[in-house]
Amino acid sequence: MPESERTSAESYEAAVIADGVSRMFGPLRAIDRLSLVIPRGVIYGLLGPSGSGKTTFLRMVVGALKPSEGHLYVFGTAMPNRRVASRIGYMPQAPALYPDLSLRENLRFFGAIYAVPRRRLDERIEELAADLDLLAWLDHPLYRFSVGMVQRASLAVALLHEPDLLVLDEPTVGLDPLLRRTLWERFRSLAARGTTLLISTHSLDEADRCDLLGFLRGGRLLASDTPAALRALTGQDTLEHAFLALAGQPPLTVEWPR
Amino acid sequence: MSWHRVFAITVRIIRQVRRDRRTLALIFLAPVVILSLLGYVYRGSARSLTLAVSGPENEFTQAVVAALTSRSVRVERLPTEQAIALVRSGTLAGALVIEPGDPSLSVRLLVDGSQPGRAQQVTASVEHALTRVALERVPLSAPLPQVQVVYLTGSPAFDELDTFAPVFIGFFAFFFVFLLTSVSFLRERLQGSIERLIVSPLDRTEIVMGYMLGFAFYALLQSIAMVLFTIYVLRVKSVGALWLVILLTVILTLGAVNLGIFLSTFARTELQVVQFIPLVISLQGLLSGIIWPVDTLPRPLQWVAQVLPLTWANDALRAVMLRGHGPADLLPHLLVLGAFAVLMLVLAMSTLRREVA
Repeated sequence: MPESERTSAESYEAAVIADGVSRMFGPLRAIDRLSLVIPRGVIYGLLGPSGSGKTTFLRMVVGALKPSEGHLYVFGTAMPNRRVASRIGYMPQAPALYPDLSLRENLRFFGAIYAVPRRRLDERIEELAADLDLLAWLDHPLYRFSVGMVQRASLAVALLHEPDLLVLDEPTVGLDPLLRRTLWERFRSLAARGTTLLISTHSLDEADRCDLLGFLRGGRLLASDTPAALRALTGQDTLEHAFLALAGQPPLTVEWPR
Repeated sequence: MSWHRVFAITVRIIRQVRRDRRTLALIFLAPVVILSLLGYVYRGSARSLTLAVSGPENEFTQAVVAALTSRSVRVERLPTEQAIALVRSGTLAGALVIEPGDPSLSVRLLVDGSQPGRAQQVTASVEHALTRVALERVPLSAPLPQVQVVYLTGSPAFDELDTFAPVFIGFFAFFFVFLLTSVSFLRERLQGSIERLIVSPLDRTEIVMGYMLGFAFYALLQSIAMVLFTIYVLRVKSVGALWLVILLTVILTLGAVNLGIFLSTFARTELQVVQFIPLVISLQGLLSGIIWPVDTLPRPLQWVAQVLPLTWANDALRAVMLRGHGPADLLPHLLVLGAFAVLMLVLAMSTLRREVA
């Protein structure tokens, strides 16, 4: 994206701008010339089957991978960049926590890394533990936790420093429907307070809850729009059919709705 | 670099290891068990030894024989010539020769110094026995008999454990810390938490420094425990400054921490970390002067030995504990070990940088 357009995109208060981003792993093109804009305060869902490049793209957004081609900006800063790191909260697909430490110790550790002031940190820990229904488990080591509990603990770490951009890689995989709904309510209230959420999923009903949706297949972004617009665009009444219809077509130009 | 964040990692490492009982046992118990075993093998304090006494049949000789005979010492009365032959052949631990004449003033103890442990034990028993004999005899003002120890073989300097203990301290410290760091850093990579750290505001220096300090904490405790155990429980003689022994060990292990982080990049499983042991540990175990003195190695191997950190550590630890050298004498060693730690630190950070690929 040319510099002038980038600036104009920033006037949208864009959280993430990808401009022709590709990522190669040897001969494999995991992400292929992907361009998209994620404005602030929305929930952006990246929908695609496994192997479509969702995780690769998210890892580039958080700065764990460098784009092989193109430009990727988070809050106007080219990634990877450590200065915006503190504004991003990342929940990887694997729990990526320390199983032999208690939840509180894990949270305190990441709190210190993100320089959350000690008193605020203690408040946040109680707050998040209550919200995520882990209060009784704060002082237990994570190896005693069930999969769903570890998942929530991992989310707590991502939320801890109140990031402006939350990048969640399949956050609700393996969770029971009730908990899934609670989490989505929480995502919604975060977005209402101005947090931008970038969530990967391969579940269609979750995709429908997003403000904006990107269809990813074979590293290419097939379309990026509101779920309703995607259905209208393809003349299909379900997202699944919309996806299938788009999968047979070349990638569409990304149009940004106001 | 923010020390606050560095210490966050350090404290986390300390906590994690504290939780892991088996690892704690590895750090503290394993060296103690191995050192005790060595002590047992070298000193064999449980063995009884046989000593010949030759001299005139008089009251003094009988008193000495009686005082010497104990659970751990057997005494045989033999003519001097025969006793010397048996000591030379190693059959007897020593021969106490009491000259006819004025027996209370001077006796000669002929020992087999090729087995330093046994020689020391014999000398100690004889001195002890003579003191008892002298104390039982009145008047107390009579001069104590002097023992003149003659080494028929070997040298009286130090026993085997004394000469081996310093290098074992260095070797174990290096080995355990290397193993611990490389495995726990690998685990960090496997469980994906390293990615969380990399996308956090932490920079690579902070990550490696935090790790280094966390493990240095255990390295410090381990060296203190090993040194104290060796000196106060195994009664290994050390003529040098203990703090210098500990300082050397800690600097050596800082290098081991960073080497562990560096090499863990090249391992994908814990088994692969174990596969580094022959390379990192055995090579140093063989060539760093633990088994064979470095200057007796073939020349090409001496060159290899010169670049191994353990060679420098061993030399320095022996110099302190056996010869009482001070920090000024060991400046080159401290510099080399410090340089190794820094070099490994740089390598560890450079491999971590590759993490953002």
